[in-house]
Amino acid sequence: MPFVSSRRILVIALAGAALLSALPQSFQTPWSGTLATVLWAPLVPGASALAWVRDRIRAPAEPYQGLPEELRTTREGRDQLQGELDAAQLRLGQLERELGELSGYRPANRAGWQPRLATVIERGAGRPAGLLGIDVGTVQGIGEGDPVVVGGNQIIGMIAAGGAENRSWVIPLDDRRCGRIDAIVLPEAADGSSDASGGAGAGGKKADKAGRADKSDKARNGTRATVLVQLVPQGNRTLVGELESPADVKPGDSVLLSDAAWRPAAQGMRIGVVESEGALDANPLRRRITVRMESDPLRVARVVVKVRVSGQVQGTRGTGAAK
Amino acid sequence: MRWWVFIPVLALVLTMDAAFMPAFAIGGHVPQLGPLLLAFVALYASRGAALWAAMIVGVWLDAMHPALGVGAETPRAVTVFGPHVLACAAGAWCVLETRTWLYRRNVLTVAFSTFNCALLASLAFIAIAGIRAAYADPSPLWGGGSGAAAVGSDMVDALYSAVIAILPAWGLQSTLTVWGFATAGPRFAGGNRMYRGND
Repeated sequence: MPFVSSRRILVIALAGAALLSALPQSFQTPWSGTLATVLWAPLVPGASALAWVRDRIRAPAEPYQGLPEELRTTREGRDQLQGELDAAQLRLGQLERELGELSGYRPANRAGWQPRLATVIERGAGRPAGLLGIDVGTVQGIGEGDPVVVGGNQIIGMIAAGGAENRSWVIPLDDRRCGRIDAIVLPEAADGSSDASGGAGAGGKKADKAGRADKSDKARNGTRATVLVQLVPQGNRTLVGELESPADVKPGDSVLLSDAAWRPAAQGMRIGVVESEGALDANPLRRRITVRMESDPLRVARVVVKVRVSGQVQGTRGTGAAK
Repeated sequence: MRWWVFIPVLALVLTMDAAFMPAFAIGGHVPQLGPLLLAFVALYASRGAALWAAMIVGVWLDAMHPALGVGAETPRAVTVFGPHVLACAAGAWCVLETRTWLYRRNVLTVAFSTFNCALLASLAFIAIAGIRAAYADPSPLWGGGSGAAAVGSDMVDALYSAVIAILPAWGLQSTLTVWGFATAGPRFAGGNRMYRGND
């Protein structure tokens, strides 16, 4: 090609690249997404085929791998129902608090959701690292902020804005760019099961004397009360958070998402388990916990996106539990 | 260099990097074949062709790796063209500068150049992203963590890519005649070189 031998054109092209590199994102936003989609389009069939080969070579770290299909489906269904139950109970607790504070009932006007299965076709390589490319996009109803789960109730990230018609980007939960995440630590009960109702059922418990309140609270959930914590993603499947020293958190406790900034469909989804907890040197009155995600976002092959369905009311008393 | 050979091979390599190479990930470090192809081309092609090839690789990499910008509700995936273009040009330049004192026909040379290319491209990218983070991006283009941590991580990635590159490098070397490189024609064939002795 003649342009290859032209030194002047090469210098101009490099200068153009340098100029584009220096300009803010807003200068490229109107056209760069379209150009990227056009450049990526020829690679999609090959990427899908190679993703299938990749999963054959190295089995994705999906929950309940190796179990018979029927049993796995049943367990994933159980987890999904557990997640929905947790979400409903969180919502119930929130509504009960609101009812206690307000004179009138304020119905929630939140949209419902429906699951949309997606295949991870791109992940991890190069810079920026961490974003997962999935094969569903706006055509399938995927929208920004939609939560992404695996195994029924394990949340692994959310959809970033700026997706294409048949392609979206998932920001893993352990990516710093996901921002701070409000969560609750759910203590493991004595029998090993976690109690989602935690502080939600406080209204139904009779506390005859003030001195017996704490004892009653502990007796209600079998062990300990739930703890609110704000987590900061650290990468490598871990998130860290700080909490008050009196809070009773132990390794193995479940951590559920409870963040108003996330979609209702994400509330109550399981983030992971408390891996460790210890003193915070900088502040003796607070402690630091490390939460490890149960699913590795970089090793999942298929995910479920909880797509928002507009016009479907969720979370009100009239419709019962959250879907 | 025959561009009709380079473009399909590049498409294949980038597809493999995106969808297949994570199968070989160890501890979060994923080997990549893109630096191998770039190093291979930079070892043999003319200077101009190598830099153009690097820019094409960079454009495609920019298209495949969107940055995260500020969105209304959630972070927005924004494709920023430019950083990978310059980074790949820097990686190719590194190989162009070193190829004169390397024995190019050895697959280990290609692997070594792959390491050099990947490392310098990474350094250039992080430098550009660092500058951008000062005024243009809400979070650095390299993702989370500090720039030094990103350099360290990319150094391991580059090393891993170089190790993995040995086998495909052998495959690429065996197709030298197909590529039509300016510096790998009959005059530069290994047999002729041996025949010419010390001339």
